[in-house]
Amino acid sequence: MALLDEAPSMYAQTIQLIQREQVGPDYHLLKFDCPQVAAAAQPGQFVHIRVAAKWDPLLRRPFSVLRTNEAEGSFQVLMRTVGRGTQMLAEAQPSTEFDIMGPLGNGFALPGPEGEAILVAGGIGVAPLIFLATVLHEPESYRYARGLFGARSADDLCCWLEFSGVCDEFTAVTQDGSAAEQGLVTDFLAPQLERGAGCVYACGPALMLAEVARQCQGAEIPCYASMEQRMGCGVGACLGCVIPTRASGAQRYQRVCKDGPVFDAQIVDWEAIRCGCTPG
Amino acid sequence: MAAPQVDLSVQLAGLTLANPVLVASGTFGYGTEYGELVDVGRLGGLCTKAVTLHPRAGNPPPRICETSAGMLNAIGLQNPGVEVFISEKMPALRELGVPIIVNIAGESVADYVALAQRLSDCADIAALELNLSCPNVKRGGMQFGIDDELTERVVAAVREVTRLPLIAKLSPNVTDIVGIAEAARDGGADALSLINTLLAMSIDIDRRQPMLANVTGGLSGPAIRPVAVRMVWEVTQAVDLPIIGMGGITSAADALQFIMAGATAVAVGTANFVEPDVAGRIINDLEDFCQQAGVARVADLIGAAHSSSGTEGLQ
Repeated sequence: MALLDEAPSMYAQTIQLIQREQVGPDYHLLKFDCPQVAAAAQPGQFVHIRVAAKWDPLLRRPFSVLRTNEAEGSFQVLMRTVGRGTQMLAEAQPSTEFDIMGPLGNGFALPGPEGEAILVAGGIGVAPLIFLATVLHEPESYRYARGLFGARSADDLCCWLEFSGVCDEFTAVTQDGSAAEQGLVTDFLAPQLERGAGCVYACGPALMLAEVARQCQGAEIPCYASMEQRMGCGVGACLGCVIPTRASGAQRYQRVCKDGPVFDAQIVDWEAIRCGCTPG
Repeated sequence: MAAPQVDLSVQLAGLTLANPVLVASGTFGYGTEYGELVDVGRLGGLCTKAVTLHPRAGNPPPRICETSAGMLNAIGLQNPGVEVFISEKMPALRELGVPIIVNIAGESVADYVALAQRLSDCADIAALELNLSCPNVKRGGMQFGIDDELTERVVAAVREVTRLPLIAKLSPNVTDIVGIAEAARDGGADALSLINTLLAMSIDIDRRQPMLANVTGGLSGPAIRPVAVRMVWEVTQAVDLPIIGMGGITSAADALQFIMAGATAVAVGTANFVEPDVAGRIINDLEDFCQQAGVARVADLIGAAHSSSGTEGLQ
């Protein structure tokens, strides 16, 4: 299983928003004009967007790349409005300019030729998995892909058509049963693992990822998890966005922005993450 | 006709800096993290992430959160320890071709002494910055910087074991910054860094718990700039040591406030996270400002606000 080559370089530049589409009550799909990121981004990588050319709100916001279009020289991200920074993005008009850095971080390791891929998405965590499924759907990098997508309610199953359209099999789940199957996405993982798979890829809330990792470990199937954390610089300098890991036994903190955001689930200290998570 | 050349160089603690704009400890890693996004060679100097005697894992996450025109951090001095710093970080830092100021932090006076001794044997370190002001560790850190006797004792102890210029980085979380600055001077500091972060906290009202796992953290960013400028102003009036001013600098105008308050140099901190080449922009704009103002040497602006303010010193 080879890691994707790291992008040759990261870019910092001013780019234009070319399309904004509301895809749920709090969700927007943003398309930016940026040939460099379109050409360089790998599934799992992110861009760090400055929401305004001022110092309040202060920090950039990281967004996983959902899709690139190299011919058009564009890329898309999926965002959920959670605070004033994302609110500004949600209200931005096409042709607005944004300062971005990217593509940043390490993406997903592509599966080997043997075995199928299982992609487990929770809520907005679907974004990098749509990108991954899109790559796995292309003839030159084709792998049979089974998608599982869980969300709180029908409103949060945003972009499910985009996801299902690039998966060979697809299951959607909502916690409240307002659409598709009712339950947690992890309730539907066991039968998938019993069928066997080459690799599992997951992105979503930390507790969901912990459960996916636990089941994959039991089934002895490799698992890669894309992690989230409040982020500062995005390039590994500030050490703000760490998660606990246990690489080769030693407990330490690793940076989501630079060492991740995709981690081999085996090295993540899920117990420490569970302890740090308040349910709900 | 070309505009006359502006002399941006400043003298600080026996060092000649090509320009007065440094990057602050903890915001620029070990010099290579921003890669091609920054022309590091242009910097007046680089203060490394704090180095401790032994490796430190740092604090559990979440470690940062955004606030109004600022952010909180409680990193907890995560670093690989001085031996790994010397073997793995210094080689790349050396290649950058700018003065490297190594920020050191200890839990005891003996830690600082051991760090200073070890780093004195290491080539190409321009100065040591004594971190007496980290608010996010249980032992050491800010405990030193809020006590004038301890400040003097630790600076004096380090002074005895190294010939490297010593810069004491002070905490703003004190009632009398001048008293602490005097203690650092009496201990033998060559310069002062003012200020480290302000002890602060935020609460997540949905989860009804602190935003940071460490509960409290250090506030940085534009929000703290007026506090920092005031402290530079006060210390300048009482203590005859060069000062590196820092706290929320995002522009040449901000940097000039510190310089005119009395700082010899400035350090850009949190702004690096948002605009990696902000220091380069500030250097350019400083030069433009001097040209337009007919100032031949930026050093002529140090303390400029004092001479025209007509105010009395604190003393």
